[in-house]
Order: sequence, then structure tokens, then C-alpha cells
Amino acid sequence: MAPPSRRSSTPASKVVNFPVRRSAEIASDAVGRATSGLTASVTRLTDERHGIVDDWGRDPALVRRLMTLSQLRWNVAVGGDQRLPKRKGALIVVNARPYALAPIFAAFAVSEAVDRPVRFVGRPDTAPIGPLMRRIGGLLEHPDEVAGALAAGELVVIGAHHDTRLRQVGLVDHALVGAALLAGVSVYPGATSSNPIGRNARVEIGAASRSTRKRRGPLAELELADRVREDIHRMLDEMGNLRTGTPIDWLPISGLGGA
Amino acid sequence: MFLSGVGGELGTLVASLLEDEPWVGALAGIDADPPRRRLQRTTFHRIHPDEHDRIVETVTAFDPHVLVHVGVWEPDARANPAAAAILTDQAATSILGAAAECPALEHVVVRSGIEIYGRERGALTRPDESTPVFPTSSWGRTVAAIEHTAARVGERVGVTVGAVRLAPVLGPHVPSPLGRLLRMPAVPFSVLADPPFAVIEDRDAALAIVAAARVGLDRPVNAVAPGAITAWQAARHGKRLSVPLVGPDWRVARALSHLFGAPIPDHVSEALHRGRLADNGAMRDVLGIVPEATTIEVIDRLYNWPSIIRRPARVQVA
Repeated sequence: MAPPSRRSSTPASKVVNFPVRRSAEIASDAVGRATSGLTASVTRLTDERHGIVDDWGRDPALVRRLMTLSQLRWNVAVGGDQRLPKRKGALIVVNARPYALAPIFAAFAVSEAVDRPVRFVGRPDTAPIGPLMRRIGGLLEHPDEVAGALAAGELVVIGAHHDTRLRQVGLVDHALVGAALLAGVSVYPGATSSNPIGRNARVEIGAASRSTRKRRGPLAELELADRVREDIHRMLDEMGNLRTGTPIDWLPISGLGGA
Repeated sequence: MFLSGVGGELGTLVASLLEDEPWVGALAGIDADPPRRRLQRTTFHRIHPDEHDRIVETVTAFDPHVLVHVGVWEPDARANPAAAAILTDQAATSILGAAAECPALEHVVVRSGIEIYGRERGALTRPDESTPVFPTSSWGRTVAAIEHTAARVGERVGVTVGAVRLAPVLGPHVPSPLGRLLRMPAVPFSVLADPPFAVIEDRDAALAIVAAARVGLDRPVNAVAPGAITAWQAARHGKRLSVPLVGPDWRVARALSHLFGAPIPDHVSEALHRGRLADNGAMRDVLGIVPEATTIEVIDRLYNWPSIIRRPARVQVA
């Protein structure tokens, strides 16, 4: 058998020596973790190769098709996307209503607005729904999964717990917010507003939420989760109700507009 | 420097890279089979893994500073799963045990695999090295046992132990059940899941092992090529017929594939049903290397590597 052509056997042409590796290991580990996904995060939607999946199993071609399809259902206006980091990872927390698929349509809309892949949290791990949702950018609802994606420089959308009341926000999972703290990325509140019978929807990204107190322990994530919830609530109040332009707007029902 | 498993394709590649390293002094290797290519300054000892006494004698006589243990048998690569498990266990016990008797030993590097994380329901999509080990395949349990043995040796003797957790290794001469399956004319894939997996090219894997020995790795590190691909996409890249399968069809496919020379061991089956990805950030941060080939490039090369080239003898003697 003839040896096929191989690259030069020059040892470790891409090996970088670290003479002071040992002493700098802890620091470089932390920095490295936070920046390890830079190359992935700067990938633009338009630059993504079709016919393959990315490091997390997201299929750019399928996402592109679904984005086009979702535009038939929703006409989403995105605001505040300029607040999101250009390269680093970030966690976006959005309000959600039952069956509104807010994290998914928010991820699609923000992805289109910032021209970067955006993941959402909440895929099951059972075929065929789980693998399908992984193909469109879904992640498991597990703090380590979210922390890994954020550390790799990904934008990740999570939904607060469902709340059917108008302009109310459900609880925000503090463990997932803790993942953002662990990865050293910012947490952004996102107010979503959609209409079950109309096409208009809106996603508004607020300024990064910051806890008022410095905590060293797990209280940091609890307080930050509460803070994000308050910020989303305030943003929903500012957004007001969506109007359908029909007499339904006069009815005192809470299912339309708002959250 | 002592290298076990030097007769395998990966071991030979590691040895040839180590020979070029200026910091490597005397170099010796051990395996049941001779090296796959000419090594210039490696002293080779051909010893079967079950010859414990000879292994201990050879390793202790050499008294290495660094031991690199690459002597593992992946199920259905060169041996059937049962034989592979026995050979791997024998080699790990003998060689790591012998290394523990060497007074000069300072550092141990073992070859492991990302199968160690397992793919049970709810398992992380891209586990990093801090993810708890929970193997769900026989190969995963085998590499977990190797890491466990090496860690115990490290604790007892007081030496640092590093584990290089490799993604499925593919290369032109590497016996790989996954590579063999993907090169079949028809490639089965799970129509309900078709999950992504990542691989690594043999040269990048060897570079990672050499770098682990050089930096004195004292923790596990995933060695995975960037990117991912699914079985269906791989089949399309290789212009193979992709065969969609659901549930019981796999039993038939496994039997047929075995019959045609590409058995599907449980860890490959798991990768095709549940995926196999891992975070490779530490490869650059800790080992200081970046894989030269992405998963897609490795798969593309897999289909471009020639299978068998027959060259007629220059002089016909018969």
C-alpha cells in the first residue's frame, strides 16, 4: 500500500510553547474559557456553510428556512440589539406565555438582527423533537450546558417561567443566570410581545441587568435573576399593549398584547 | 520517555513526533505488534500485554521519567469487543503498574476518549473536562478504567497524571470502526435523530499527546477537531448512499454491516443515535495546540484516502 500524501512531519508546527505555563495556568484558563469561542461567535449568518452543522449541532440551512417560514407567522420588530456584545457571549432572558414559543421566535429575530447564530434553551432530549430543536439552535435546560455555550462566546436566549397575566413576568431560573455569572458574561432582559391572531411581534433588548449588591456566594445569581425579572417587567410596562386594530382591542381580555 | 502501544498507527505517529522533540532523551516503546513505520531512535520491545513479568522487567529496566500510555484497543478496530477489553485491561494494568515501580517516574500521560462522558438522556451536548464522567458504552467504561488506574498510580507514587480524551480518531491507516462504517457504499443513519458528532485526525491526536507530555499535563483534556457533522451529512460528503433507519432496522443493519466487514460497536452506535461532541477549548488553553483539520476536513479526507493501491513488482521473480 502506498503511503498517501500527508502533511509535513515537522513536529508540532502549530504548537505554542508556554515556558511559564504552570504559573499562569489558572489565569489563562479563565481567560481562555471566556474567549475560546471567539472564532465561532464571529461567524455571520451569511457566512455559515450549508450542508453541515456547527459545533453545537445547529443546522444553518434549516434555521434559514425556518426563519423564512417564521416570517409568514410573525413580523418581528427588534430593538436594543445594538446593546448586545459583538463577539462575546451573552444571556438574554425573555418573558414567555404558554404556546407563544417566545424564546424561539426571539432567538430567530435577534439572530437576524445581529447577524450571529443565537441559541435558545429548552429543548427536550427525546427524539424526534429534541434533535430537531437542536438543529435549530436548541440547548438543554441545564446550567452546565448554558455555561458551556456562553463561555464559547454564544448568544443564548432563555425564557422566564410562563405567566398568563398581562405584562407579568414569571420566575427566572436563577441556576441558568448563575451559568452566565460563571461564564463571566452579561445578562440582558428581553421583553417580547406577540399577538395570537396577528402577525406583529416585538422583541426589545434592554441594557444589561446588574445586581445592586456585590455578592460572593450564590445570592448573586438569585438577586440578578430577580433584577432581570424586574427589568423585563418594567420594559413590558413601557411597551404597552399591542393593538390588533379590531374591536377585540376593546375587550378586557389579557390574552392579547403585552406579555 | 517510555511509550506503550507504539505498534499501533497512533502510537507510531506519537513516537515519530517524539523523536523530533528536542526535550526527549532516550525513547523506548512497547507493543504486541511492531511499529507501522521506521522509527529512527526508538528502542522497540515486542511484548504481548499478558506477559506481565517481561513488561515489568522492561519498563523498570528503562526507568522512564515520562510514561505515555497509548496501548489501548478500541472495540472492533483491531479486535472484537471482548478481546479488545481484555487486551486493554491487561496492557493498562501491566504498564501502569510497572511504571509505578520506576523511581525516576515524574509524569504519566494516558490516551482516553470522549466516550467517557457517556450519552445518557439529558447528557450535555458538549461536555467539557469538568463534566462528571458517566460512560454509557463499553469503550467509555474501558477508557474510564484506564484513567482511574492511572490516577491511582499517580496518587500512590506522587506523580502527575494527564489524560488526553480523544474524539474518534480517523486517519488513512487508523483502524477505526466509525471510519470503516462511513466508507461503506451505504451508510446508515438515524432518521429520527441524526445527531452531530466530532472526530479528530490521527496527526492532531498525536500532537495533542506529545503536547501533553511536554507541558506535564496534570488533568484531563478533550482533543476534538472543531466543527461537527452528522452521519447523513458525512454520507453526502462521501457520495455514499445514506440509508434512513428507525428502531428495529438497526439490528438488521448492524448484522449486515458486520457481515460486510464494518461492525458497529456500541460506542459507534451510540454516536449515531445520540451524537458525540465535546468542548475543545482546553486543547488550546492547556496544551497550546489548535487542531490542523476540522471535523469536516477530516471526513472529506476520509473519503479521499485511497483504500488499496496495488503496485506491481519492479522485477517479476515468479
